[in-house]
Amino acid sequence: MKWKQWFKSPKAYVLITISVYLFIASWATHSIRGIENGGIAVGTAIVIDVLFALIKKRKRIMPDGAAITGLIVALILSLNTAWPIIASTACLSIISKHLLVYKKKPIFNPAAFGLFLSILIYHTEQSWWGAFGDLPSWYIPLLLIGGYAVTNRVNKYQQIFTFFMITFAMVLAMELLHSGDAFDALRPPFINATLFFGCFMLTDPPTSPAKPTGQIIFGILAAVVGTIVYGIYGGLMYLFIGLFVGNLYHLLQTRFSSKVTTKSRKEPRQRGMTD
Amino acid sequence: MAKMKKKWVALCSTAVAAVYAAGYWSTEVDKPEMLVNGTYSSPIVSSKASVSGNDEVPSKYIDGTYTGMGSNRRGMIQVTVAIKNDQITDVEISDFAMHYSIDDVIGMPEEVLQIQSAKVANVSGATYSTIAFSDAVQDALNQALRT
Repeated sequence: MKWKQWFKSPKAYVLITISVYLFIASWATHSIRGIENGGIAVGTAIVIDVLFALIKKRKRIMPDGAAITGLIVALILSLNTAWPIIASTACLSIISKHLLVYKKKPIFNPAAFGLFLSILIYHTEQSWWGAFGDLPSWYIPLLLIGGYAVTNRVNKYQQIFTFFMITFAMVLAMELLHSGDAFDALRPPFINATLFFGCFMLTDPPTSPAKPTGQIIFGILAAVVGTIVYGIYGGLMYLFIGLFVGNLYHLLQTRFSSKVTTKSRKEPRQRGMTD
Repeated sequence: MAKMKKKWVALCSTAVAAVYAAGYWSTEVDKPEMLVNGTYSSPIVSSKASVSGNDEVPSKYIDGTYTGMGSNRRGMIQVTVAIKNDQITDVEISDFAMHYSIDDVIGMPEEVLQIQSAKVANVSGATYSTIAFSDAVQDALNQALRT
């Protein structure tokens, strides 16, 4: 793939956008720590990804996906996270990308899976600082500009609109029913997390459906499950849990459609043999 | 697959923004006392003991039990701090409403008793909880200060 082609690819859109976020957030927080963390996470993710590519004897080794995963990990983990934990979270993400697969594609969003395990194993503090979670609300439009550019490129508007609409409607219902912490959910850093998550993680092409109907169901599942988990338990794992349910739906949908395709291919041949 | 038309993108964005705004407005009306952007809630004093005699050397703190609060964008921690003869004799986390695990700060009351200060060591990966806890203890100590 030539550079010119690569710059037009969805991965390039995501990588460039989140790299810009990394620099803006680092500049605004007056800390170089974020860039250091980004280097650690991206470096680890690329090394592990290349190792897997060599083990699998892949002809094309292009670790741009690993760089995206590493950057997302660095943007979400708190700035004060110890470097071995950052490296290990990036490592877990890439391992899940290569081991939890169906038809060579990851089942779960790698960054989300690594971050989820990181909470369970290391009790990591996730601040979503790279989504401007520690900054004033007027940084949010930057999230939306980049998010819309990426969503437009991967053609997943149906998915994010469904996800956002259901999420905000359920949070409103929570508020009206006086159940759960609706106040926090609609304000920084949680609203930053929701927007970043919806635009950059939910839309990951290998782990989410392409067709509009699939996208809508995926968005509903991620929003409903995530918001219910938030309403009951609070915490910070709710977005990831919702996404995993969506990922599983995508897996089942892929398996079912591939079985149907195989069956429909076999049937004419079988008819031909028996006729 | 055909891309979504711009007018539909604009329409859906507006609908999502309207639902968000409704939620934001409802929560704003319901919780006007909640403060955001890392500011603190007003301190609450649960009880105070009597002041010691006038002939004694004036102490820094007034004996008693104080409730302090520390909050930031990730939640709130409330502590009760008992003070006797200028010594912190007991610290308890009376309310933990952070979006992180309470395990991160479970050992901090003991640390405050040991160092006799609110300045607990920052736990790597638990910065927001550590700051909220430290602020809560400091808030209680500020109330106990003899003016």
